[in-house]
Amino acid sequence: MKHYEMSLQFKGCILILVVSALIIAAPAYSENTFKLKPGAGSAICIECHETIQETLKRPYVHSPMKKGECNGCHNPHTSPFGKLLNNDINVLCSECHKNIIPEKSRSIHAVVIEGNCISCHDPHASDNQFVLLKKGNELCVDCHKDLTDVSAKAEFKHEPVEKKKGCLNCHNPHASADAPFLLIKEATVLCKECHRTDEKRFADRHMNYPVANSQCTSCHNPHGSGNRGIIFDGVHTPVAKKECDKCHEGPSSSTPLKAIKDGVELCRSCHSEMINEMYSKAHLHWPLVDNTGCLHCHSPHASRQKMLLKGSIVNLCGECHSDTVRLQEISINNPENTKLCKPVKERDCISCHAPHSSDGPLLATGKSFSFETCDKCHDWQTHSTHPIGEKVIDTRNKNLIVDCLSCHLACGTGNKPAMMPYESTYVLCVQCHEAYKR
Amino acid sequence: MYYVSNATRHTKGDYMREALKKIIILPIAAGLLYFILFPEATFGAAAKIRHLLSVYSDNKGEDPVPLRQPEGVGCNENMLLVADSGNGRLLRYALKDEGITSAEEIKVPQLTYPLKVRINSKGDIYTLDGKQRRIVHIGPDGMFRGYVDPKGLPSPEEYVPKSFAIDTDDNIYILDIFSARVLVLTPSGEYLRQIKFPEKFGFFSDITVDFKDDILLLDSTNARIVSANKQATAFSPVTESLREVIRFPASFISDDRGRIFLVDRNGGMVVALGQDGSFLGQLSQRGWKEGLLNHPSQACLNTKGKLFIADTSNNRVQIFEMLR
Repeated sequence: MKHYEMSLQFKGCILILVVSALIIAAPAYSENTFKLKPGAGSAICIECHETIQETLKRPYVHSPMKKGECNGCHNPHTSPFGKLLNNDINVLCSECHKNIIPEKSRSIHAVVIEGNCISCHDPHASDNQFVLLKKGNELCVDCHKDLTDVSAKAEFKHEPVEKKKGCLNCHNPHASADAPFLLIKEATVLCKECHRTDEKRFADRHMNYPVANSQCTSCHNPHGSGNRGIIFDGVHTPVAKKECDKCHEGPSSSTPLKAIKDGVELCRSCHSEMINEMYSKAHLHWPLVDNTGCLHCHSPHASRQKMLLKGSIVNLCGECHSDTVRLQEISINNPENTKLCKPVKERDCISCHAPHSSDGPLLATGKSFSFETCDKCHDWQTHSTHPIGEKVIDTRNKNLIVDCLSCHLACGTGNKPAMMPYESTYVLCVQCHEAYKR
Repeated sequence: MYYVSNATRHTKGDYMREALKKIIILPIAAGLLYFILFPEATFGAAAKIRHLLSVYSDNKGEDPVPLRQPEGVGCNENMLLVADSGNGRLLRYALKDEGITSAEEIKVPQLTYPLKVRINSKGDIYTLDGKQRRIVHIGPDGMFRGYVDPKGLPSPEEYVPKSFAIDTDDNIYILDIFSARVLVLTPSGEYLRQIKFPEKFGFFSDITVDFKDDILLLDSTNARIVSANKQATAFSPVTESLREVIRFPASFISDDRGRIFLVDRNGGMVVALGQDGSFLGQLSQRGWKEGLLNHPSQACLNTKGKLFIADTSNNRVQIFEMLR
């Protein structure tokens, strides 16, 4: 029995020794296996990739580079991804930088969604903090030139835009959990961090209306403006004249911000001629006569867009007509689709459609959606030798004449060529000329 | 080995056969019976249509006037009513076998641009005037009877009808887009009740009442349907967005089995849904030839299974037969 116990202790000692030896020997074994030279994965890489040596002299170096771990991102031998990366560039960064997008983000920067981190960051090293490619607002200019131009040219500038952190004073570059437009906080909260709303001056400037919790950006351009008080360049006349009570109840009313009339009737007080003409047409754009009325598309106070529009034409139309806008998008993004109408290319829906009302179908600007509308840009009578016009009946339908829409669809046809509803000219022609069907 | 009972002697094989009957034959029989009784529940009541006829004009004499941009169709077992919008008139055809007679033109000065049309159980005609944004009531004799202006409407009194529906008791349901509600009126226009639109919606284009008198609303911009049963005070969703199967539904109808037919204006087709909003199929396609549709506006289905579609951009009305 004693002999047996000693034997067990002995065996235990041997087991511990063997495990320890294995632990110590394992790296040595693996090094031996791959026969790596000293400095493999970092110093050796730099021997060939000389430009990296210079890059590494910059003050801000990406941490894997600092540690000499080129293989943190690159595979030394082969890779299915460009630049011998370990993974798709859109995924690679998020393997380490996991919390860039908050779980319930209200807005996310497009480049972050695309995983295109290198649009802003140098993956090796940079002269700028956070290995950014450029300093401060210079970086944002590359994509957001329209906004930075406004700021640069603005006679009345917004201080935070000009300050050291620039755009980042108000925006989060990656995503925002709390606000739209990548704002650090809701605009109303953010503005009040600098602007006191409890002062008499604030009340005076706003005609004593209680607007402290209103959306400041419905009147003020946070990027700067040509108007005093950085009010948007496009400003509604009653706002410019400080005649708030033309549309709202008086400031002493129990509901001072309430409009004095609902829907289109409010706008009719001043724009009666336009609205009466609109009502006289056969086809009305129906959202105009619901409770929101004109404000579906127009801003009542001020806007950066022409005609006080709330956004670009295509974005506004696309809010309801996303199906058509999507078709347009496909048409535009197809590089083989070279024969696109200018309004489709420029996404200018109101070149052909009347946004308020029309006597033509589908809110055409002309009486029909063919000659009268297309005529504005196309001399259709010289378009082709195919018979076309009022006297030519469509063989497919005796109630239709052969016109532009007999062969084309005006809003774009996705991947189909030349704005035709079919995949080729042949398929189009044999719709009528059936004898030539192969 | 024998199993003995008081009545008969059964072999083991007999018991096996009995068991087989219970396990296999009975469920099959039950399934067949269920299919016979409830075919739509078994196979989703797939819908199919067959083109019968296209209507191009008022069919009057030697010089018929062609239809122009017809935006509405109403129907019953004996009658087809067309809103010949571009010509500012209504046309009433009698249905005969698989054909139609020449049309009776209904043109009254109080109606300038008819859009949607509906017929009640007494043959009264109701049509939405697009220019005036009012519902015009025309008697079976074709004479103007008045506008449907709700009486006893609670605040807010402003309303703009975008569409309307009529139930089996001839009550009128108005889709009031101005005050975001559905107004329920008696046949003579007295206010009965109202149901507010749901909190979140895009733009409601059409209203219909189904065979159970449930109210259905069509949100065109979000391509979804909401409903409220007869006594409900609020709407609840029937479908999520149907954007994957439809482009821009402009109007819809429901049949006596609860199936829903959506008229896709931009897609040029009709999409059939089950009572629960499940996708059953796409009927027709976009095009110019007979049987194809170009910017259809309104559909109507009668009890004889005839489907009428205002094929607006093709300047015609098409008649289909529902295949059961």
